[in-house]
Amino acid sequence: MFDIDWRGLIVPFSYVLVLGGTFMTFSTIYRKRKAVESANLEPWFGTHLQRNVYLSLLHLEPENESEKAPKVPDSIIRAALLRRAVEDINRIIQIRTAKAACSSLLQRGSVGDDLWQRFQRAEKEMEEELRDVVMEANALAPNWGQTIFQSANEIAANTALRERLDEIQAQTDTEKEWWEKRRASIKDEFLKELEDADKTQTKTGSEDEPVLVDTDTPSATPSGASKKKKPKK
Amino acid sequence: MSAEYAYDEEGHLWPFFVFVLTFIVTVPLTYLLINRSRDPSASLKRVQTTFKHDHVPLVDSLRKKEKRKDRKLWLMAFVIAGWAVMGQMVYLIKTTEAPTAKLWNPYDILGISESATEKVIKSTYKKMSLKFHPDKVKIDPTKNETLEDLNNRYVEISKAYQALTDEEVRNNYIQFGNPDGKQGYSINIALPKIIVSDGNGKYVVLIYSVLFGVLLPYLVGSWWYGTLRRSKEGVLMESSNRLFRAYKDNIDEGGVVAALSTGKEYEELFKGDKADSDLAKIESRILAEGETSPFAAGLSVKDKAKLEDLESGPQRKALALLWAYLGRIELDDPALEKAKFEVAPIAHALNKSFNAIALAYMNTAPLLASYYTSQLLIQALPPKASPLLQLPYVTPAVVKAVEGDSRVHTTVQGFMDKPDAKRRSLAVGAGLLTDAQYREAVNVAKQLPYFRVTKAFFKVTGERFIIPSSLVTLVVKGRFVPPGSEKVPEVNELDLEDIDPAEDDLDAILGRNTKKQVGKDENGKPIMVAADSEPILPPLAAAPYLARDHSPRWHVFLTDSKQGRVAVPPFTFVQFDQPIFEEDGKTPTFAMQTLKAQFQAPPQAGHYTFVMHVVCDSYVGFDTKMEVTLIVEEASKAAAMADEEEISEAEEDSIAGIMHAAKGGAPPASKPVKRKDKEDSDEEESGTDEEEDDTSETNTDTEDES
Repeated sequence: MFDIDWRGLIVPFSYVLVLGGTFMTFSTIYRKRKAVESANLEPWFGTHLQRNVYLSLLHLEPENESEKAPKVPDSIIRAALLRRAVEDINRIIQIRTAKAACSSLLQRGSVGDDLWQRFQRAEKEMEEELRDVVMEANALAPNWGQTIFQSANEIAANTALRERLDEIQAQTDTEKEWWEKRRASIKDEFLKELEDADKTQTKTGSEDEPVLVDTDTPSATPSGASKKKKPKK
Repeated sequence: MSAEYAYDEEGHLWPFFVFVLTFIVTVPLTYLLINRSRDPSASLKRVQTTFKHDHVPLVDSLRKKEKRKDRKLWLMAFVIAGWAVMGQMVYLIKTTEAPTAKLWNPYDILGISESATEKVIKSTYKKMSLKFHPDKVKIDPTKNETLEDLNNRYVEISKAYQALTDEEVRNNYIQFGNPDGKQGYSINIALPKIIVSDGNGKYVVLIYSVLFGVLLPYLVGSWWYGTLRRSKEGVLMESSNRLFRAYKDNIDEGGVVAALSTGKEYEELFKGDKADSDLAKIESRILAEGETSPFAAGLSVKDKAKLEDLESGPQRKALALLWAYLGRIELDDPALEKAKFEVAPIAHALNKSFNAIALAYMNTAPLLASYYTSQLLIQALPPKASPLLQLPYVTPAVVKAVEGDSRVHTTVQGFMDKPDAKRRSLAVGAGLLTDAQYREAVNVAKQLPYFRVTKAFFKVTGERFIIPSSLVTLVVKGRFVPPGSEKVPEVNELDLEDIDPAEDDLDAILGRNTKKQVGKDENGKPIMVAADSEPILPPLAAAPYLARDHSPRWHVFLTDSKQGRVAVPPFTFVQFDQPIFEEDGKTPTFAMQTLKAQFQAPPQAGHYTFVMHVVCDSYVGFDTKMEVTLIVEEASKAAAMADEEEISEAEEDSIAGIMHAAKGGAPPASKPVKRKDKEDSDEEESGTDEEEDDTSETNTDTEDES
């Protein structure tokens, strides 16, 4: 049949082997690195404190094994779940508003790919979280799952409003102080003007008689000023 | 008929090849190098001032360092090498003698002139054949001849004779330049013979594989990862990501400053030990009680809380230094002072990225906060500081004397609009400005390019109405009126019109050269004069504290005030069509500038009221905010109006005119025209209401002054 020159075939086969091997190692190393990178991505949100509180309340362990686990009142567990839902609402609002901006920035190359990955992971996590909260709510009270997020939304909106109000209220003291100072300085100015006018009036009255006609007009201003000042007192 | 490919053995071709190759590469690189090393800011005008603060040498040295960083040594080396190679090649071309392929010329061989008659040819041939016949000629050993040479010579002579006398041979000679007919030709490859000669093969393969196997992947890889590392705005991608996380819908200038301090650039600036050193000192300085503000650096209580919440590290140090920079706090330490002036340009670069992020969210407040932060960073002012601090020598004490207890800050233009005597009495005094300092401050104020909007309106090029989804142009007309300018000329009404270029004027439509309207002829048609289309750049921002040269930019955008959202994203203007200052760089020209921005009209008809913002990124308090109304007409209505218009305009001898007459139409009615006028004036009024007041006010002010 054929006389195969095995020795001659070593070269092409080794070429193919080396080429394939290089590609294989490159791709495995590259993939591993990518996986490690994406696994080490910082989470989008910080720790979910409210969820942790709720879960630890739910699975309260006894301090020593002989004792029975302390019974947590239902109302507290419900309140904890509601708090958790409020925090979820805040997070979901953040994600919803950021989504369009993030994707358009990614397309333009203004933010990096890893940010988008983190964002998507956070989105998925939030979906799971919402489902979990609904299930927990239904377990605590029948059909609560349908309304829990409505109340949570209202609580979140109210808190935001309150914060804003507090911020404004916090400024009242400094504003008051400033206004007192300002009022005092305006008063001083007017008083001074009044005095000056009196002085000039007496001066001009005593020294220069022909100008007497003119002194009436400038005196109108201080009197007007003193009138203005009165209602402020 | 053989074609022969040969490598360049004599070395007279490959120098050409190498020369052309290096020429193609080196010349563009040389252009790049020259262009880059020429300081772009040197050609720009500056605001003329004699003001020098204590740290001018430091700021200048930082500016120079940045410019030096731009210069690339490898590029210079490469260009020099390229020119050296080219010189060498030119030398080789000059010295190497190219083999002259001699043309076969029978006359030369016979040694006769080309005008020789047949008789002469014959006689010469006979003589020569007698003389050179191989049988007759003896081999001359001194000339180193062989029998073959003699034979050849004789053959040549007889060939030449035949070429001149024999019909067939002569034809061959005329067609192919040779009496024997078509000759084989040779093609030389312009590569030196060395590279194919034995023994060199492996080196050639080595160079080849290094070039394509190592260098090319390296270059492509470094380019690709370089683009991945930096965002479009030129900051590190990681910084950009962090800025995105730091974005908040209700962020203010202080918040933006805090967000900018998250930049990864600062981690590289304050590596290791530098991150914590002297942090306590900086913080005690910036948080000391200030003259006019709770803290010396002008930060609010909220900003202070933000600073103190941070873990100590590069970010906290960067933020503290940023506040020190903005508050113009003395740190009494050369290293700290240097760091203080270094953080600001980085923050300014990061702010560009933040600006892009704010724009992606399309909310007005963060976008404005970002622009205001840019102003603050350039002028080294804390948020809510008086714009007067932009002027040289002005200190918080001077500001206090000028503003009194008022909560509203006096702007530079407001201050300068006061009569000189009043300004002087307010600002000059013990502990305030000296007379010379006051004059310098006024001098600088009179050079600041304050863009005063005169009129803003919408239009669609070539149309009378704005129909849904059409491409609308926002035309902003305004003048650069530096604060405190005296004798500001009246606005020329002609300047306020924006005339569409004629339909056949391709140059103007494509923006190739702009024409300037100088007046109207008796028919009301504009008289145009070709204007020099050289773009005019404003003088560099007067920013004595910023360690960069910055050319001011103006951003024009429309917002929806009810929803607090950006309706039309910003258009940025860096250059203008009219000169801003006279040649001396100080006297304003008050020329009318035109800014145009195009966007798509809303898809529904109606009246849209927008707030137009004109924001300068370099000066505080130079922004304009005014309401403009965009009237979008129903497409059908506009079309109907336009139709009427067209017919009414149709001349009698035109087809439309005849058609109109045939339909029994009356001569052009004036009704539609009137209606149109009304629309136009409506639209203009809404745009200019506010501004008309503004100009009249300032006019009276200047009159007072004189």
